[in-house]
Amino acid sequence: MHTWIFEDWSGWLPRLLDGLLVSLQVTGLSLALGFSLGMVFALLSSSRSRLVRWPSVLLVEVGRGMPALVMLQLVYFGLPSASITLDTFPASVLALTLTTAAYTSEIIRAGLRAVPAGELEAADALGLSKADATRFVVIPQGLRIALPALMGFAILIFQISALAFSLGLPELLSQAYSIGAATFRYFDILLLAGLLYLAITIPASWLVGRLERRLARHL
Amino acid sequence: MEHFGRIFEAAPVTLEVTATCFTVGALLGVVLVSGRRSRSWVVRSVSRVVIDVLRGIPPIVFLFIVFFGIGSGAITLSPFQAAVIGLGLISAAHLAEIYRGSLLAVNRGQFEASQALGLGRTTTYVRVIGPQAMRVAIPGMVTWAISLLKDSAIVSTIGVAEIMLVANQDARASGSSLTPFIIAALIYIALGTPLAFLSRYLERTLSLKR
Amino acid sequence: MIALTPDRCNLMLRLEGVRKAFKDQVAVDDVSLDVEAGQVVAIIGPSGSGKSTLLRCINLLEIPDRGRITVEGQPTDAKGGVSTKELMKLRRKVGMVFQSFNLFPHMTVLRNISLPQERVLGRSRAQADARSMALLAQVGLTVKADSHPSQCSGGQQQRVAIARALALDPKIMLFDEPTSALDPELGLEVLAVMRQLADQGMTMIVVTHEIHFAADVADRLIVMADGRIIEQGDPKSVINNPQVDRTRTFLSAIRDR
Repeated sequence: MHTWIFEDWSGWLPRLLDGLLVSLQVTGLSLALGFSLGMVFALLSSSRSRLVRWPSVLLVEVGRGMPALVMLQLVYFGLPSASITLDTFPASVLALTLTTAAYTSEIIRAGLRAVPAGELEAADALGLSKADATRFVVIPQGLRIALPALMGFAILIFQISALAFSLGLPELLSQAYSIGAATFRYFDILLLAGLLYLAITIPASWLVGRLERRLARHL
Repeated sequence: MEHFGRIFEAAPVTLEVTATCFTVGALLGVVLVSGRRSRSWVVRSVSRVVIDVLRGIPPIVFLFIVFFGIGSGAITLSPFQAAVIGLGLISAAHLAEIYRGSLLAVNRGQFEASQALGLGRTTTYVRVIGPQAMRVAIPGMVTWAISLLKDSAIVSTIGVAEIMLVANQDARASGSSLTPFIIAALIYIALGTPLAFLSRYLERTLSLKR
Repeated sequence: MIALTPDRCNLMLRLEGVRKAFKDQVAVDDVSLDVEAGQVVAIIGPSGSGKSTLLRCINLLEIPDRGRITVEGQPTDAKGGVSTKELMKLRRKVGMVFQSFNLFPHMTVLRNISLPQERVLGRSRAQADARSMALLAQVGLTVKADSHPSQCSGGQQQRVAIARALALDPKIMLFDEPTSALDPELGLEVLAVMRQLADQGMTMIVVTHEIHFAADVADRLIVMADGRIIEQGDPKSVINNPQVDRTRTFLSAIRDR
């Protein structure tokens, strides 16, 4: 029985790795776009003008309050009735980008708030303009502080990418499930897929932990 | 507006799934964290691996392993049962980490004082350390509860008739597929908001007591 | 009241009727003060006496509720609020050193000193770096130019902070308990730099607990309590022969520690 498992596993592996590649692509693209958008929302949500702040905060709260699965299905199945039809890959990226933007906006804002007040005072006392202080002191420091949380979130988005299977995106879980449906060897194939996910998330978490400890020493 | 009625009726199921999984997780989490802090290196390592795996695997993959992998073989599991096992175990792992953090946050001196006074291990944990650790853990636990509420949407994929499933069915049946999803999103947000307020309230009251 | 014009600039700083209250607590209660160019003024007093708040009113980190602050002939009236332009103008003439140094941890020591010069004074990178290195030489820390603040001791960080403030060529230097966060040994290096600065003729206002510094370096000692100046004069005479009871109590509390 055991030799059969490993033979099958090596047979299934290529397809699963193809799926893993798609998962990583969706994740990578969504993170790149989502972080940038999140940065924008972080600054808008911190604005002193209520006109700018309220809509931004509202969008962020909605993005954070709804399950990622709902976001994915809304974008793929729902938008067509508003005449926006997207293919599975773009739809997955759009949905995950929006979710990323909402969560990272809050993470970045917390980081910006955590910059020690003393440094802001020093910047003030030196005569640096508010814009300069934000650009040279608050943002670099705030992002450094937020980095571990942002990286932790990146790992989370990679896990969430598995939900894109419900849109038919040929990512890792999707591949595993279709092999399972064909062979009825669900347990084996899903276990293998699970191991592939873990092969990414566990080392990544370990690296984030190390980064956190290093950063704590220098700040 | 019938959309709303149908989808809203599924809200209790979502809440039931969330509450059950949270309870299972809260209890099993204690077991896991005790293992993590055990004196035996073997138990500690096994616990650590279990926690890391449960936190590292995408919840939906684990759910599928439980439902399709285990639950359709020798043992048959209903969707709800599989959901409780799947998300319950994952909750246990996350809550175990929260418990671990909260225990570390309790001043070492408390342990030493209890030892010096001759209080047994159980008394120390239940009467001295526990209450203090709880104070630190509760905000994190509420945060997890909110996450769990959102994660519970994935059980729709194995057929549990909660909000997401009904919204999906609705979208397929009717022509307007945008509305059901928007309604589902709003209901999740509405369910999560009281928890978010609870979390903020707890953070304020608990930090004042220190 | 002699009218102040830029050429009658023997008077570097004049405070008139400065008042600052937080909610219902009055921190600075109608304080007036004149400081001549090149003078070193030390301010001492029990905690809560308002000395730090007063210092922070001078460079408008705290905006007073009432009063006028005149730096080198340029008046700034607190009434009706202070515009950003006025703030910037004043802060260009007044440098400040904080108790907790407040260096920017993500920049090297050199960048900490050069960046404000580039952004506030418009100096080129080369000009700014040259001036920064000169100031680092003055405080004895050229070797630390490319280090980060976390790689420097507290005393070194504070000396860098002093260099950073000096880089903008201020007319007045304010020190808010510069050595309170430092071990006595590290504090000495900072006090040495401050002494050097005083010898070079900088106008300095120092809030401190270091009575010895006040006695040796300061030209004038001001004692504050409950938001008011209760006594001032030559440091040695105030310390050895305090006229006011409150001063006496405060000084003996320090001496008898």
